Amino acid sequence: MSETLLKIENLKKSFGKLEVLKGLSTEIRKGEVVVMIGPSGGGKSTFLRCMNLLEQPTEGSIIFDGIDIVSADDKTKNRVRSEMGMVFQHFNLFPHLTILDNITLAPKLVRGASAAEAERKAMELLRLVGLEDKAKAYPQQLSGGQKQRVAIVRSLAMEPKVMLFDEPTSALDPEMVGEVLDVMKDLAKHGMTMVVVTHEMRFARDVATRVLFLEGGRIAAEGTPAEIFDGRHDGRLGEFLGKVRVGTEFRDKVKSELFDILKDREVSEDELARLKDLLAGNNPEK
Amino acid sequence: MWQAFCDEFYLCFLKPAGDGSLRGEYLLRGLGVTLEVALFAILLGLVIGFLVAVIRSSHNKYGYFSFLNAVSKVYLTIIRGTPMVVQLLITYYIILKSVDSKVLIAILAFGINSGAYQAEILRAGIESIDPGQMEAGRALGLSYWRAMLKIILPQAVRNVLPALGNEFIVLMKDTSIVGYIALIDLAKGGDIIRSQTYSVYLPYLTVAAVYLMLVMTFTWLLGKLERHLRNTGADPVHNDS
Ligand SMILES: Nc1ncnc2c1ncn2[C@@H]1O[C@H](COP(=O)(O)OP(=O)(O)O)[C@@H](O)[C@H]1O
Ligand SMILES: [Mg+2]
Repeated sequence: MSETLLKIENLKKSFGKLEVLKGLSTEIRKGEVVVMIGPSGGGKSTFLRCMNLLEQPTEGSIIFDGIDIVSADDKTKNRVRSEMGMVFQHFNLFPHLTILDNITLAPKLVRGASAAEAERKAMELLRLVGLEDKAKAYPQQLSGGQKQRVAIVRSLAMEPKVMLFDEPTSALDPEMVGEVLDVMKDLAKHGMTMVVVTHEMRFARDVATRVLFLEGGRIAAEGTPAEIFDGRHDGRLGEFLGKVRVGTEFRDKVKSELFDILKDREVSEDELARLKDLLAGNNPEK
Repeated sequence: MWQAFCDEFYLCFLKPAGDGSLRGEYLLRGLGVTLEVALFAILLGLVIGFLVAVIRSSHNKYGYFSFLNAVSKVYLTIIRGTPMVVQLLITYYIILKSVDSKVLIAILAFGINSGAYQAEILRAGIESIDPGQMEAGRALGLSYWRAMLKIILPQAVRNVLPALGNEFIVLMKDTSIVGYIALIDLAKGGDIIRSQTYSVYLPYLTVAAVYLMLVMTFTWLLGKLERHLRNTGADPVHNDS
C-alpha cells in the first residue's frame, strides 16, 4: 500500500448551529482516485472544501505532508492550498484574463516562476487537452467543456500533489461531459491523486480506486467500486443507488425516444437548449 | 453689434488688469487650479475609496477588520451627511488652520469627500463579484490580498467604471466652490473678471463653456476606455465563467 498523502481524523464542521460534518475520518493515499457520492446536502462539497481549508474545520485534524494543516498559520495554509488543485462546478475562470493569463497567474505570483517559464508550461498543458489555439482567448469565448478543461489545466500548472473535483461536469451540456471526464481519466492514469465528487456513476466505476458514500455528514459506506455498485445494500445507500440507477436508465430511454421523434424535424435553438437542460437533470427554472 | 462684442471681449479678456497681466489670464490660471485640485482629489479619493471599500466588503463577507470597519462607517456617515462647502470651510478654518497652501487644503478636503462616495461605488463593485472568484484564487494558493488585488478589484473596477466616471465629473464641477476659501479657480476667475468689468455675459458663459468642454472630453475618454475593455473580450458584466 502506498504512502498516505492526507490523513483526516474526526473532522467536524458547523455553520452556526448547523452541524454539517459530524466527525469524518479517512486516509487518501498517493495515486488513489477517491470518488464521493451521496445525496445533495450530505456534506460532500463542505468535506472537499475543508480538505484545502477553503472552509475552516470546526474540529478534528488533517495531516498533510506530516503537519496538521487545520491549526497551521495563514502562510502555511496558503502554501498548502497551492499544493492542492481544486476544480469547481462552475469553473470559476477569471473573466478579465486570457486563458494563458488564467493559467500563469498563480505560478508567477505564488511560485515566482518567470513569465517565459510559466507560459511555456501553460502551452504544454493546453496542448495536452487540445486547447493550445485558445491561449489568447477570453473565458467567455469558450464552451463549458473547454472552460472546465482550462480550469483543470490552471490547477495542474501548480503541480499539485492532489486534485479535488467538486461536481466538475454537473454544469455542462450533456455532449460536453465526455471531454472533461476523458481529461480526468487521463490524469488518473498518470498517477494523479484525486478526490472527486460526482454523479457520473460510470466514471466512478471505471476510474475510482475507492468510493465513499456521504450522507448526513458522515461516511455512511465505503468500498471498492465493485463493492459499492455491485453489492446488495439496504438502507440509504441502496435507496440512493436505486434512485441514481433509475434516473440514468430513465434518462437514457427518454433520450433515445426523443432522438427518434425529432430526427426529421426542425428544432429551434431554444427548444434544443431546454431539452438539453432537462436531460442533464438541471432545473430549467434555474 | 459685432463692434460691441469685440469691445466686450477686449474688456473682459485682453485688457491688462491691475498687475499688468491680461484679464483673460484669470481664467487660464483658474483652469489650472481647477484641474490640479480635481485631478489630485480624484487620486486621493481613489486611494481612500479602495481602502475603505476593501475593509467594508471584507468585513461584510468574512468578518475581517471589525475596528477599521467601524471607523470607516463613521467616516462615511459624517462625509455623506454634511455639505461639501461646510467640509471645505471646516478644513480651511479649523483642521488645517496652519497650512498655507489653499490648493493643498482644497485637494485634501475634496479628496476626503470624494473618497467616501468612491468607496461606496467600489464596495458595490466588489460585492457584485461572484464569491467563486475569490475561492478560485485562494484555492490556487494566493493570499487574500493578492486575490483581492489581482482578481477581484480589476473586475470590480470594470463593473463600476460608469458610476466611478460620474463621480469624477461631479467632483470636478464641485470644485467650483473653492472660492469660499478665496482660492481662484476657473469659476472664481470668471467672477473676478465680472467684478472688475461689470460685464456678466461673457465671463460667466465662457466659464460655463469651459466646464462643459472638460466634462465632454472626460466623458468621451471614459466611453473610449469602456469600449476598449468590451472589445478585448474582457468584459465581466456579460459573463459567467
Ligand atoms: N457557507 C455555508 N453556510 C451555511 N450553510 C452551509 C454553507 N455551506 C453549506 N451549507 C449547508 O451544509 C449542508 C451540506 O452542504 P454541501 O456540503 O454543499 O452538501 P453537498 O455538496 O453534499 O450537496 C447543506 O445543508 C448546506 O445548506
Ligand atoms: Mg455540493
